[in-house]
Amino acid sequence: MNNRIREYRARYSLTQEDLAKKVNVRRETIVFLEKNKYNPSLRLAYDIAKVFGSKIEEIFMFDQETD
Amino acid sequence: MLELLNLNISDMKKALIIFIVAALVIATSILWFMSFSEKLRLADLVTAAVLILVVGFALFIGFKKMSSARRGEPVEDEMSKKVMRKTASYSYYISLYLWLAIMYFSDKMDFETHVIIGSGILGMALVFTGCWLIFNFRGVRNE
Repeated sequence: MNNRIREYRARYSLTQEDLAKKVNVRRETIVFLEKNKYNPSLRLAYDIAKVFGSKIEEIFMFDQETD
Repeated sequence: MLELLNLNISDMKKALIIFIVAALVIATSILWFMSFSEKLRLADLVTAAVLILVVGFALFIGFKKMSSARRGEPVEDEMSKKVMRKTASYSYYISLYLWLAIMYFSDKMDFETHVIIGSGILGMALVFTGCWLIFNFRGVRNE
C-alpha cells in the first residue's frame, strides 16, 4: 500500500506531530506510514482522510505487486 | 504536578509500571551481587551484562512512553500494539527452540539447575528485546 500523506500534510501545513495528535496516534506511527513501513487500520485510514477532507482512496493506494 | 508535565493518570501508570519493574530488577541484581562471597566468574559477568541490557531496554521504552505522553500523544497506539503482538508471538516461538537447545546442552555440560533456569529466563528476555527492536525499526507492514 502506498500513500500520499506527506504530500497532503505539506498541502495543509501540518507537521507529523500535528497530524499524530489529530488522529490520536504517536508521531512514530505517522513516520512509519509515510515510509510505507506500516499499513494502517481502516479506522486510522478513515481518520487521516477525514483530517484532509478527502476520500480514503485519494490518500491510500493499494499496490498489488508490493502487497 | 501531572498536569504540569502534560501527563494523564492512565499514561503515567503505564510508564510507571516499567520503571517499577526495572527498579525491582536492579534491586534484586544488587542483592544477588552482594551475596557473592567468592570472586566473580565470567558467567556471572555475562549475566550482569545481559541484565544491564534488558533493564536499559525497559528504561528506554519507559522514557519513550513518557516523551510521547508529554507531547500530548497516546503512549500506545495501534502500531505499537501490533509491534508488541508480533514481538510476543515471534519471541514465544524462538524461546521454545531456546529451551530445547538448553535442554540438549544441559545433558552434555555440567551446570547447576538454577544456572540453567536463570540463563533460560535471561535468554527469553534477550530474544524479546531483539524481536522488539527488529519490528519497531523495520515496521510491520502486512498483517
